[in-house]
Amino acid sequence: MTAPGTDEIVVDRLTKQYKKLRAVDDLSFRVRSGRVTGFLGPNGAGKTTTLRMLLGLVTPTAGTATFGNQRYVDIKDPLREVGAVLEASSAHRGRTGRNHLRMICKAAGLPDTRADEVLELVGLTPAASRKFKGYSLGMKQRLGIAAAMLGNPRVLILDEPANGLDPEGIRWMRDLLKSLAAEGRTVLVSSHLLGEMQLLADDVVIVAAGKLIRQGPVDEVLGAMSGGASVRVRTPQAEALTAALSELNATVTATQDGVLLVHGAEAAAVGHAAFKAGVELHELSAERGDLEQVFLQLTAGKAGIR
Amino acid sequence: MSLVNAELFKVRTTSLWWIMGIILIPLYAASVLINWAQASAGAPPADAGVSDSQSATIEAALEPINVATNLYTSGQYMGILVVLLLSAIIVTSEFFHLTATTTFLVTPRREAVILAKFGAAVIIGVIVWLFTTILNLIVVPLILNSLDVGGSQLGEPAVWRAIGLNALAFVLWAILGVGAGVLIRSQIAATLILGIVYVVGTSVISLIFYLLSEYVAEWINNLQVIIPTTASALMISGTDLPGSPPRWVGAVVLIGYAAVLGFFGTWLTKRRDIS
Repeated sequence: MTAPGTDEIVVDRLTKQYKKLRAVDDLSFRVRSGRVTGFLGPNGAGKTTTLRMLLGLVTPTAGTATFGNQRYVDIKDPLREVGAVLEASSAHRGRTGRNHLRMICKAAGLPDTRADEVLELVGLTPAASRKFKGYSLGMKQRLGIAAAMLGNPRVLILDEPANGLDPEGIRWMRDLLKSLAAEGRTVLVSSHLLGEMQLLADDVVIVAAGKLIRQGPVDEVLGAMSGGASVRVRTPQAEALTAALSELNATVTATQDGVLLVHGAEAAAVGHAAFKAGVELHELSAERGDLEQVFLQLTAGKAGIR
Repeated sequence: MSLVNAELFKVRTTSLWWIMGIILIPLYAASVLINWAQASAGAPPADAGVSDSQSATIEAALEPINVATNLYTSGQYMGILVVLLLSAIIVTSEFFHLTATTTFLVTPRREAVILAKFGAAVIIGVIVWLFTTILNLIVVPLILNSLDVGGSQLGEPAVWRAIGLNALAFVLWAILGVGAGVLIRSQIAATLILGIVYVVGTSVISLIFYLLSEYVAEWINNLQVIIPTTASALMISGTDLPGSPPRWVGAVVLIGYAAVLGFFGTWLTKRRDIS
């Protein structure tokens, strides 16, 4: 293992024991910079507790969660290193959005002008002097992201940021987080919206019942679980096609009427084999593994209420 | 210092401060009127059935200097109540509005946050003290002239000492409020408990002390000073009234409460999980 940089998140044998519940159980993983990492798990898997331990809000029972090898509480100017969005509704109801941000600026020693800059970044400028209680859930999420960006940090941590966002908002956030990661920042996003994560994340860390289930690049995790990429073919001549494909050393499974799933062959090779055998095709598509399927497979039986 | 500034900014950017201001003004006016009425009522007649020590207390309280100190510290009772509640709310609102997470993310060293809250509460206490004192310095000379007790009494060092000790009372109660807010994190519980203990508690506890001293032992009555409100009143009373412990005892009791609550509250905040 190489020595971690300060923008790498290192969770090492982290454990949190509440009275009767082991919320996080000997959890270890790393989050690299320059990529979006999805932190996935069913409700109650310990995602939020893990993030709160990482940010020094909850004391671990055992193990460490650090940035490089520095704990959050030991970072001198934490807001300039790490930005976090934890709960959408964590602002005073009677305070305006701009004042909420200015309050943070004052405590962190940042200039007040940063408040207006980040409001612009998240598109909240028109609602800047409206009170927080008048914000929609989507606006609250944007204000949370604005607050996290105040110190222009190298590391961003977001807990369920897509909650309450409309489709346009989700797309906006996806683009923002991807561009922030492309700038070389570390982005860790917890979520249980798997379709969204498949579009957003480069790496995933999957947890259930406080334990690590799997981690790695999305494609690797998907590939390992679904046995590599597959090709979906629909044809009225299923038997003839199956015979033709057997020469390619591909495994073929029939799913429903006239639909075959082919593993171990590219879409082009399947098409060519069908053409040579004179088999009529109605549909031919390369299938990417489905994160939701894989997730449910991986967490099966571990997701219950504890 | 930037943290204290941020704490004051938090108070300034919500409607809390002017709601408290609106509550304070009529209460201040009422307390001036009550003090005025007390001073002009005079001593009870000799056959009114009051004990010797009681009448001695009343007589002493009616000396011009004591009338003056009492009037120049008008608004202490209600002003301190407002400062006490505000100080507690500075802490409890962080949990009520879930802003504690943000606050402790910005400043992970929690003792620094609590210290800043003590600082902000003390500044608020001083502001309220300044507000009531300036009004007193304007209004009270007029009242004293009408009472014919010998001018404004502003030349008396005892008056200025009382005004200074009044400031100390505001500061100590502000610290007490923050400490109480840390201990009772629920906003509603904290304001209710502090309000009730401050307003009703004193008379209830005084009654208990009276009964104890009547039926158990006379000396128990001297322990009344351990009630924070009694200690505070004792500390600022202009000259030592007969039948009361010395004034510094009141100060020591209040400082003790403020220190214990402050240390315990900070210690508790440092080790609690924020979720």
